[in-house]
Amino acid sequence: MNNTVYVCCGTGCLASNSMEVYKELKRFIEMYNVNAEVKTLIKATGCNGLCEKGPLVKIEPHNICYSKVKPEDAEEIVLKTLIESELIERLLIYDTIKKKRVISHKDTDFYKYQQKIALRNIGEIDPANINDYVERGGYLALEKILTEMTPEEVIAEIERSGLRGRGGGGFPTGLKWKQCDLIENFPKYVICNGDEGDPGAFMDRSIMEGDPNTIIEGMTICAYAIKSNTGFIYIRDEYSLALKNMRLAIKQAKERGFLGGNIMGSSFDFDIEIVRGGGAFVCGESTALMQSIEGNVGEPRAKYIHSVERGLWDKPTILNNVETWANIPKIIMKGSDWFNTIGTDNSKGTKVFSLVGKVKNTGLVEIPMGMTLRDLVFKVGGGTIGDKRFKAVQTGGPSGGCIPESLLDSPVDFDSLKKAGSMMGSGGIIVMDERTCMVDVARYYLNFLSEESCGKCVACREGIKRMLEILTDICNGNGTESDLDLLESLCHTVESASLCGLGKTAPNPVLTTLKYFRDEYLAHINEKRCPAGVCKNLTSFEIDKQKCTGCGVCAKNCPTSAITGEIKKPHIIDTSLCIKCGNCYDVCRFDAVKIAKGVSV
Amino acid sequence: MKIIIDGKVCIAQKGEMLLQIAKRNNIFIPTLCHSEALPGPGSCRLCVVEIEDGGRKSIVASCIYPVRREIKVFTDSEKIKAIRKDLLMLLYARTPEDETINNLRKEYGVPDKIRFSGDKEEHCILCGLCVKACEEMGSNSISTIMRGVTKKVSTPYDEPSSSCIGCGSCAYVCPTDAIEMIERDGIRTIWNKDFELVKCEKCGKAFATKDQLEYNRKKLSENHLDVYCETCKRVITGEKLRDIYQP
Repeated sequence: MNNTVYVCCGTGCLASNSMEVYKELKRFIEMYNVNAEVKTLIKATGCNGLCEKGPLVKIEPHNICYSKVKPEDAEEIVLKTLIESELIERLLIYDTIKKKRVISHKDTDFYKYQQKIALRNIGEIDPANINDYVERGGYLALEKILTEMTPEEVIAEIERSGLRGRGGGGFPTGLKWKQCDLIENFPKYVICNGDEGDPGAFMDRSIMEGDPNTIIEGMTICAYAIKSNTGFIYIRDEYSLALKNMRLAIKQAKERGFLGGNIMGSSFDFDIEIVRGGGAFVCGESTALMQSIEGNVGEPRAKYIHSVERGLWDKPTILNNVETWANIPKIIMKGSDWFNTIGTDNSKGTKVFSLVGKVKNTGLVEIPMGMTLRDLVFKVGGGTIGDKRFKAVQTGGPSGGCIPESLLDSPVDFDSLKKAGSMMGSGGIIVMDERTCMVDVARYYLNFLSEESCGKCVACREGIKRMLEILTDICNGNGTESDLDLLESLCHTVESASLCGLGKTAPNPVLTTLKYFRDEYLAHINEKRCPAGVCKNLTSFEIDKQKCTGCGVCAKNCPTSAITGEIKKPHIIDTSLCIKCGNCYDVCRFDAVKIAKGVSV
Repeated sequence: MKIIIDGKVCIAQKGEMLLQIAKRNNIFIPTLCHSEALPGPGSCRLCVVEIEDGGRKSIVASCIYPVRREIKVFTDSEKIKAIRKDLLMLLYARTPEDETINNLRKEYGVPDKIRFSGDKEEHCILCGLCVKACEEMGSNSISTIMRGVTKKVSTPYDEPSSSCIGCGSCAYVCPTDAIEMIERDGIRTIWNKDFELVKCEKCGKAFATKDQLEYNRKKLSENHLDVYCETCKRVITGEKLRDIYQP
């Protein structure tokens, strides 16, 4: 049996130089293959998820995974592991929970609790080669529906599966298809929303980069069900690798007869066109996205008449998110009964998250719905960096909210997150620790939204602008208690009077932080103090003479040399030089650096 | 189909906009961005009302809400009043010196002194009616540019637009008179571009720009168009009709 070496070339690993690793490995493999009994293949794959430990190199069938591989390690991997079958201890993944190195990535807690449906092929196939996808059962679902199922049966199967839209709203996918199917108005369109824009989110990107064919297959299945012949994939232009892989996949699928005219000899035609988005966050909103495809300014319209009835060019349109499409082929193959066994009563299946922020295992994860937030952060994510005190987890991007520790045992599903004041969103999870200021977080998101709102309606544009003004004042120490009432009133107005989903959910970061972290707001306003030591006007750092051992680590890490002191004697901070970056606080192992009130300058 | 607005039973056609039905029944809903001729921006949000549809309450913009079922509508509930007050406060903060906005905000009880301040020169509320009017005219010379808090209405690259015919439709539809149109010495200046004004051949009133008349002539594929202002056109048509019936 041949060996296969998989080099992760997802965005995270590419940024850690994995393309060089791939090239070097390829060079040495070709060099040593000549005389070897066992030949080795090498493949560049999509994102494996554990971006924190990248670049990742997997060696099959030996089930070995190397982490943080450098180009210089290539020859050693070929000589030792591939030829001599020896492990290279230092390259194995260090599991922070087990506190030891593990041979396979599958042995880590990070992977153990995951269940891959949408991400089933990513990391296992070369996305640039359709044969890899086909070898793993790709396009069998399409063949199945074309030969064995009527359009109605396809819709019924998706409806029974309980799949809900993964783009954030959670609308039942099968019901959407059914509503669209009932409308006798042609042509109909199928759209894939790949305009992922939440800060810190890269779920859709990873799927488009790592397994583009699953999206094509999912869309084609839907097109057959609702009798559409034209599809669009809207990809933001910054995602150059996603664009490249998607284009290639469409070309290969057409060559193989999985797309285009007379698909698999069934006389069913369906073609997909790629539309590049200009990078406006609001174009992820379905109606703005359709405006953008039509060539207009990407501004949303009211959804009083749904897109399934009047969407793209006023024709019935099905728009689903990348991850939703990736689920479809698997549901068709394994059946709705199987899908129903995963997840909770109202949220079936799995959900892909990009786990980022102050968490040890930064990366891409897919977990069954119903897992608690605590397990997601502490088991899959491995807990907070430096085991600092956990403060909150932000879900749902700028439209979501911050969930405090007291609600960490809520299950991850559409309804529970909504109940907590947040939302599922498309799947960004940002972990925050004690060094995150919640007022600053709310300010950050509103600043993002003030730039990314389309600016069409008064409620969203002016409301967000003024809420941001209040939050900035509070962060600068100029807030008053009456500001909080005004902030709340504005939140409700923006929430209820905005035109589209962006505005309607924009107050969520403010409302949830006000609800769960009001004390932090009050500390800013009344005590002129930022408890997390983030807001610069309201923060100063002090060294506790009793606790300081004079180790000098803080002084070494101070970028402005504001800390002085003799070794083994208490150090002091010169506040006139201090830029309040907090490095000293973060590096002190003796709890000697304290966050204090801001000093008036 | 019957819908109930503020307790009053109103007859409505399926697909009709809520605002239209209310207007017909003499129920007043405030608006800024609404124009009968240019429906659909739905951007000022002032016309929001509360609806009850099968027990479910929601807030909708009445100018763009098509009625599809028998529903109950509340145009002036406490909730709606509070929203309108906030919206007018936000608009007042943006355009502190604008007369239309000031009149409305007084009506809804927004005090003189508010927490926020804005540019005293600003009158535009970004409703988008001007852009829509220009689009309908067919010249497409102005558009909203940028997004979010930096959004504004302008010509391409803020330079005089080659396609602008100086018709002034944008200024006519503007609810807050935010578009500056100056006429002096036979020249109309709008969007940083000067236009020669043409006088009515009958009454001598300078009523349109040369570019505008030329645009109309081309659009109608005529070799020559009589240059009459709206009033004189009406008088001439009236005279013609009179001559037909009273020979």
